[in-house]
Amino acid sequence: MLLARRNLTHDRVRLVLSITGVALSVMLILLLSGYLAGIYRQSATYLENAPGSVVVAQQGVRTFAGSSSFLSSDVLDSVRTTPGVAQAVPIVMQAAVLELHDRKEIASLVGYDAAQGGGPWKLAEGRTPEADHEVVVDQVLADQHGISIGSALTILDQQFTVVGLSADTSLWIGSYVFAGAEAVQTMLRAPGVWSAIFVTPSAGVSDADIVRAIAIPGIEAFPKTDKIEADRRGIARIYDAPLGLMVGIAFVVGVLVVGLVIYTATVERRREYGALKAIGMKNRTLYRLVTRQALIAAVAGGLLGVALAFGLAALLIALRPQFPIVIEPGAIATALAASLVMAVLAALAPARAIAGLAPAEVFR
Amino acid sequence: MNALTLDVRNVTKRYGDGETAVTAVRDVSLAIQPSEIVLIMGPSGSGKTTLLSMMGALLHPTAGTIRLDGTALSDLSERQLPPIRLRQFGFIFQDFNLLSALSILENVALVAELAGSKRKAAREKATAILTELGLGARLDFLPEKLSGGEKQRVAIARALINDPALILADEPTANLDSKIGHEIMRLLRRIAKEQGRSVVIVSHDQRIRDIADRVLWLEDGRFKDVITMTTDPVCGMTVERDRAVSVERDGEAFYFCSKGCREEFLGRLRSEDMGGCRSAVLQRAGSVFAHLASGARDGHASD
Repeated sequence: MLLARRNLTHDRVRLVLSITGVALSVMLILLLSGYLAGIYRQSATYLENAPGSVVVAQQGVRTFAGSSSFLSSDVLDSVRTTPGVAQAVPIVMQAAVLELHDRKEIASLVGYDAAQGGGPWKLAEGRTPEADHEVVVDQVLADQHGISIGSALTILDQQFTVVGLSADTSLWIGSYVFAGAEAVQTMLRAPGVWSAIFVTPSAGVSDADIVRAIAIPGIEAFPKTDKIEADRRGIARIYDAPLGLMVGIAFVVGVLVVGLVIYTATVERRREYGALKAIGMKNRTLYRLVTRQALIAAVAGGLLGVALAFGLAALLIALRPQFPIVIEPGAIATALAASLVMAVLAALAPARAIAGLAPAEVFR
Repeated sequence: MNALTLDVRNVTKRYGDGETAVTAVRDVSLAIQPSEIVLIMGPSGSGKTTLLSMMGALLHPTAGTIRLDGTALSDLSERQLPPIRLRQFGFIFQDFNLLSALSILENVALVAELAGSKRKAAREKATAILTELGLGARLDFLPEKLSGGEKQRVAIARALINDPALILADEPTANLDSKIGHEIMRLLRRIAKEQGRSVVIVSHDQRIRDIADRVLWLEDGRFKDVITMTTDPVCGMTVERDRAVSVERDGEAFYFCSKGCREEFLGRLRSEDMGGCRSAVLQRAGSVFAHLASGARDGHASD
């Protein structure tokens, strides 16, 4: 409706304020949900790129990330000889604190056998470790601390030489560092001890069959997808509440900004709306008028917010690559839908103000 | 446009209940004929605006009926009234109440669109009316760029766009200087007479009485004697009898615009008395009074 558009554009400052309010709100919603999505994605990255489809770990270890699991060589042998197992790839994993430029960096140290897998899935530079003193370091960590191919790196008092830089191995709380399995076992003073075994079933054998078949005391097997989901739930327990609260606050702020702007504009034009009512405009038409104003502001703000979110996400990732921000199409649709809900909610108070307006008031 | 009659019968409007109840209009009756211009005057708080609001179907009376050509507006629900207000009444407000974000063409065309006209037809009609009212060169102007008189002409165009039978104007000259105010009133009179529309005006402005067919005086919610106009026998000025300076001689009252005129009148009487011609002066004064307006009640007015 022409009047809705003109009412909004007549006061440019107010229009800019309302659009900016929604835009900032939508941007914040997208960045926060994008950050959460990024954390989820990072948490699953290693398992998704590890070989096999079943994970074997110590009994009671529900999540893959952040848990300690100890498996002996006998367990590895048992798994390998279990009927239906095509391949069993062991890794040893240990959280380590790296002292870099007087800063402590948390790293997930992964020991693997290059011939079997479980190491870096994407090398940005260099090669995989071939000797016990060689490591591959996450590229983001390397960039932050000036580490390059050939740099020396001390891990748990052991000297290593960086031979490769891996991509997509950054974590929101640290990064992956890959070394030979034996080197890590030696460093941990636990020769022959593994943390997990990734199992690939033979052709025609399902994950469930393998899980049932691996009946070793003190050991449990899970489909890899279950572990990914367990990790996701673990992260959700930590992050969902605070990030959800922040998203909720951003939504409420957006509603309040649009609502306040449209309400103020409605109250300021009270006499005009009263005149329209007196002339014969129906309440329904007036409600549509204010709702359209809110919708125009909210949709424009929503689209601007999406653009701002992409821009700021790119900037944040450029400045702090370890911050995972993944803006997914579903999140964009949700944010735009949220902006529409903002508009409808924001129009409630102005609509009430109009409903309470007696047409005869225009003569007073 | 159909020529319609608005019939107000024994209408009362009361606000509030019990001891705090305030009666704004008491048992008022009035009929507005096609092409008639009725001016309702009265002091502030007399109930003029309340009466006008009820006549325009903006307020329901507490008692009594308001019929527009037989249809009892007072019996209709609030949902049924907007289409009637839109098509049968044209409203002119004291503060113009134009939509500040729309051009004057859009202000007028919008009301036609609300009544169901297509945008193009509405704009064409609005252009024609505004041009006729002398605003053809300002169609794209926002109201804020117009003078008070121009704004009121836009308001008149808006009131006319749906061909209403009745135009209701609330203090239409209140925000205008006297010259522009008169111009606007002459315009309303021309519209009423040429287009056969009835016009009801509520105003404090004494200067616009001359354009009305009927002048009604509302006080304390009731029509009182319509202002009885009389002529000062000294200067010939038309004055309101109730407010004029008066003097009584030989059982007859004489009214003056000022004490000066009264003193002059009394002086003449004294000198004529001395010359034995007192009766001639009174006779002359009486001839002036021969065309005095008579009182009126219940909306049966005098000129």
